Parts: sequence; C-alpha cells; structure tokens
Amino acid sequence: MTDWLGMLAAPRTPRPELKGRVLARALARRRRWPLAAAAVITLILGGGAWWAYRTIGALTVERDGLAGRVQALEDTVSTFIHGTATRLIQIPVSTGGRVGSVTIFADSVRHRWLVRCDGLAPNARDQAYQLWFITDRGMTTAAVMPMDADRPMVMALEMPPPADGQVMGAAMSIEPRAGSASPSGPMVFHRLL
Amino acid sequence: MTSLKRLSQERQRSLEQRLKAGDERALGELFDVAAPWILGLAFRILQDADEAEEVVGDVFVQVWRHIDQHDGGRGPLMPWILSIARNRSLDALRRRRRWWRKSAHVEQARAAEATDIAPAAPHEAAVPGWPLHREVHAALAALSEEQRRVVVLSYFEGLSHREIARRLHQPLGTVKTRLRMAHQKLAEGLRHLKDWVE
Repeated sequence: MTDWLGMLAAPRTPRPELKGRVLARALARRRRWPLAAAAVITLILGGGAWWAYRTIGALTVERDGLAGRVQALEDTVSTFIHGTATRLIQIPVSTGGRVGSVTIFADSVRHRWLVRCDGLAPNARDQAYQLWFITDRGMTTAAVMPMDADRPMVMALEMPPPADGQVMGAAMSIEPRAGSASPSGPMVFHRLL
Repeated sequence: MTSLKRLSQERQRSLEQRLKAGDERALGELFDVAAPWILGLAFRILQDADEAEEVVGDVFVQVWRHIDQHDGGRGPLMPWILSIARNRSLDALRRRRRWWRKSAHVEQARAAEATDIAPAAPHEAAVPGWPLHREVHAALAALSEEQRRVVVLSYFEGLSHREIARRLHQPLGTVKTRLRMAHQKLAEGLRHLKDWVE
C-alpha cells in the first residue's frame, strides 16, 4: 500500500503539448519492433526469392544443355543401331561358369563400333577384359575393360585406320589389369566378322 | 471524511484490457487521469520541470510496452504506475547527483521546501484523484513527526536506511524501527484504497 505514497506529491497539470509528445514517443517505440521485424522478413524473403531466381535460372541452363547432349547421344545411338551400314554381331560367351553375350554394332561408314557386354563375370582384382580388333596384320588392342561389378557395360570404339590394317573380326581375352600389347591370357571369344 | 467518487473497478479493468490489447486511445485516457500525478511525483523528487516531463515520457513508454507485466489480481494499476515513476525519478536523481553543480542546485531547492509534504493548492482540486491525494496525506499526517521524516526521506529521496540514519543523526536501528512502524500504519490507513479516483 505504500506505493500510494506517490499520491502525496502535489499534482501538476501537464503543459498542453506534453500529451502529444509523450503519446507519440510511447507509440513510436511500440511500433518499432513490428517495423523492424517486417523489414527483416522482407529482406529474407527478397533474398530468398533472388537466390531461387538465380538458382532456377542456372539449373534451367544446365538442364537445357544436358537435354541437348542427351538428344545428340540418342541421335548417335539411333544412327548406330538403325543405320543401313551397321552390322549387328551377337557373340555368346562363357566366363567364370556364367553365360553372357557381347553385342557389337559395327558402323562401316563411320568406322565406329558400339560394344555392349552382358553377363560377364567380374574380373579378379589384378585382371581385366581386353577387346581386340582382328586385322589382316594381326591383333590390335581396342579397349581394356576392368569389370569389378556384375552389370552391363557399353562403350563406343574408333576402328583403326585402314593404314593399320583391315578389320576382319574381334576377340576378347583376360589380361593383366593394365592391359597387354598382344593377347596373352585366356581367350573369351575369337570371332571373324 | 471526503466523499470519494472512485473509478469503478470495472472501468479500470476495461482500461487495462484495452491497454493490453494495444488500444492507443486507452493510453490517451490513462494520460488524462495519471499524468498530473506522475508529473507531480517526478517534480517533487527532481525539482526540475524538464526532467520531470522526461520521466513522464519514460513512464508511459514503459507502461505501454510492459502493461502485460501488471497483474491486476495483485493490485490496482495506479500504484504500479507510481512505483515506475518513482524508480525512474530516483534513477534520474542519482545520475544527476554525479554532476555536482546540479546537485548543489537541488539541495538549495530542497532546503527551500519544508521537510513535510504540504497538500496541493486548492486550485489543483479539479485534478482527477484529488480526494485520494487528501486521503494519502491524512494517512501520512497520522504518523508521528519522526516517522513522517524517515518515510519522506526514504520515498522521495530514495535514501537507504544507513543514509537516513546519517542524515538525521539517529542510530540505524531506530531508523529501521520507525520505518517499519510507519509502513504498518500507512498500510492500515490506506488498505481500503482499491482504485484511483475520478
């Protein structure tokens, strides 16, 4: 109850302008927080929108680029598979007691091969499959294919130039991991086209 | 005894609820009722009109921002506001005491004023709360001279018990006893006050 002692002091009539000044000050302080909060939220939203706009733009450009590359690859594969100069050679193979196949799409116009390997047994850690071109001058390496997982493998190969010999067939052998200059390991297949 | 026309508890609750709801007009209404007393209390402590007006501004800012901290169940609004005004005024007074020139000015002003608080001049009787002012004065007048002096020094100058003892050349225990007895009498005399007065 001693808080009522404040009423002991004689009241003083405030100057007329004091009320407006005091209320303006009190209300201005009350409003400052919502304004600051609104400003912060606006900045965050604006920044987020700008970041999203930039990111979406960059991703769109990247997506368009990838779509173009995929389209080009599809055209290439389609040309390979459906081209009139393409020969399809399917070779059954047996590796590690498993039966698989090697499919070759040989494009004699562009001198390229598309090779798909299915069902090949994974290599030992120090070995790899090596594909060979059989030419009229002997065997030349086409590709070294270390296979560590049991899954299909696809690759495109450039045929050797005519000066290096006429391609007559293909062969695959199991070689050391780094590959060999000439076949030295067990032969997986040997096929004249 | 003066016939009091009190602000009804219902209206006071309504005013407080409107303040808590952020009703700016309620703050204006509160100013009309409370500002003369806040200004009077601040001026009594500070003896400076400009500083007292600053305190009024501080008090209304604090009331507006922290009205949620007032628990209506624990007491009326006006004593809470007056306690804010007193604390703000004493803070300003302590800051000013560090400035020795101003301090000298205040001491002169204090010396010119009687130690006891005189009731306001009759022309202030139109101010809302006037009857309550008289009641509080009556409760203070019911104290002994010694009790009144320690209450005034404690409340209006914010002096500690030890400082009052030094000022009055009295033992510390005597000051504490007088203050305790004075507060008991004041609490009895002012217990019936529930609201401030229109």
